[in-house]
Amino acid sequence: MDLAKIRFDNVVQRFRVIRERPDTLREVFTRLFSRNSRVYDFDALKGINFTIRDGEAVGIVGRNGSGKSTTLKIIAGVYRPTSGRVVVSGRVAPLIELAAGFHGDLTGRENIVLNGLLLGLSRREIMASEDRIIGFAALGDFIDSPVKQYSSGMYMRLGFAVATEVDPDILLIDEILAVGDAEFQQKCMARIEEFRQRGKTIVLVSHTAATIRQLCPRAIFLDGGTIVADGPAEEVLAKYIESQEGHQEAPHLSQEGAPASG
Amino acid sequence: MLQLIREIQRNHELIWALALKELQVRYKRSALGFLWALLNPLLMMIILTIVFSTVMRIGVNEYAVFLLSALVPWTFFSQALSYSVESIVTNADLLKKIYIGRSVFPLAAVLSNLINFLLSLIPLALVLLALRFPFHWTWVYMPVPLLGLMLFTMGCGFFCAAANVFFRDVSHIIQIILSAWFYFSPVIYSLDFIPERFRLLFRLNPMLYILNGFRLAIYYGQLPSLASAALSVGVGILAFGIGYYVFHRYEDSFVYYV
Repeated sequence: MDLAKIRFDNVVQRFRVIRERPDTLREVFTRLFSRNSRVYDFDALKGINFTIRDGEAVGIVGRNGSGKSTTLKIIAGVYRPTSGRVVVSGRVAPLIELAAGFHGDLTGRENIVLNGLLLGLSRREIMASEDRIIGFAALGDFIDSPVKQYSSGMYMRLGFAVATEVDPDILLIDEILAVGDAEFQQKCMARIEEFRQRGKTIVLVSHTAATIRQLCPRAIFLDGGTIVADGPAEEVLAKYIESQEGHQEAPHLSQEGAPASG
Repeated sequence: MLQLIREIQRNHELIWALALKELQVRYKRSALGFLWALLNPLLMMIILTIVFSTVMRIGVNEYAVFLLSALVPWTFFSQALSYSVESIVTNADLLKKIYIGRSVFPLAAVLSNLINFLLSLIPLALVLLALRFPFHWTWVYMPVPLLGLMLFTMGCGFFCAAANVFFRDVSHIIQIILSAWFYFSPVIYSLDFIPERFRLLFRLNPMLYILNGFRLAIYYGQLPSLASAALSVGVGILAFGIGYYVFHRYEDSFVYYV
């Protein structure tokens, strides 16, 4: 039996980027007469290949715009790739921008139901785990207030609590740990760790090496839409950190008399 | 089409929740809350009744009932379409973050307005009672034009929601079309008001058969001819087929344009 949970075969994701929208009617007309195209294609992923097996925890690193989030969204089914083949088997729970489905005028409790349904839970499943969700989010009496009165931290906690209640085969995590206070971060980590121990497949996207080191034995380093390195987390992260220093901290290093200054 | 049925099956709880949310949010901050769903059409109907039975007398017996029998379904059509046309674009944030069957949003928009429509039958009944207008047994025929109306509305909704993703102008144009369509449809008049030579043109309007079904049942207490009944459902099926076909064809690329 094939244990592959996620497989990407030569996956290309192309976006049509609009350089600038016509704002006025006049611009629309001038556009009609000029052949100057304002639209260009941008390949966020330029044919990538990887396989993630059942129970693996894989971190994807890369700078902004390297294609990390695009990869995650393809796994989640949000994008259908322009070419190539993607196989994802099992129930996917995205911890991507947790509060996407929240409606400000509804209370926390009402939003739990709505958000749970959006994530693919049934009403019965949500009712059964409502108390646990409320407990984890630790919102106190705010649970019956409209969520527009919530602080951003409370918003996040509720989103995370609902999203992790979906009992997924594959858990997708995008930078969520960057926000929220230390205590909540720890709680999140504990929950993710629990998923890992239960043998769930985890894909985590981050541009900070520390988060990945903590959770993932394997890492994939994306740059400009291609895979630069794929292997044991330590090795891949070393390459990533090295490339980062080369790009961003060169002046800083040269000050300290690093060999890079030449 | 099979895929749509599967999607509805899988998401029926979500569609309900979204439809109810729509209504909940609409009435949330008002003191009378959900009561407005009844009060709003009731007050509107009372105003129309007063205007047309005292101020502006029109040579139609019980004109208020004549008008309301077609206006109530028209209002459903017009509001449901206004909601569906925006349904994909307003949920852009969600579509870009998680995968949800796209058909959920226009369907929820129509469903929430269907609930409103069904509720507004209560004030309609009250107005009839107040006017001592008889309840014809033909009320039981209403599910037939209602089926046609729902399918037709969903079809238009699917089509416009998809079109609006690519051309945001659609949501503006649809408002103009709706107001022109209102006068082109037999709501404030009926087909016999139209000079013979123009009638053929008016018969091309699919809403004619649907609205007639409602008016015959509520106002005249008659059943439509078999041909007219078949047409009222037939135009619904046709519109639904075309609308969903277009929607389905482009739904995978919505996420890139919203």
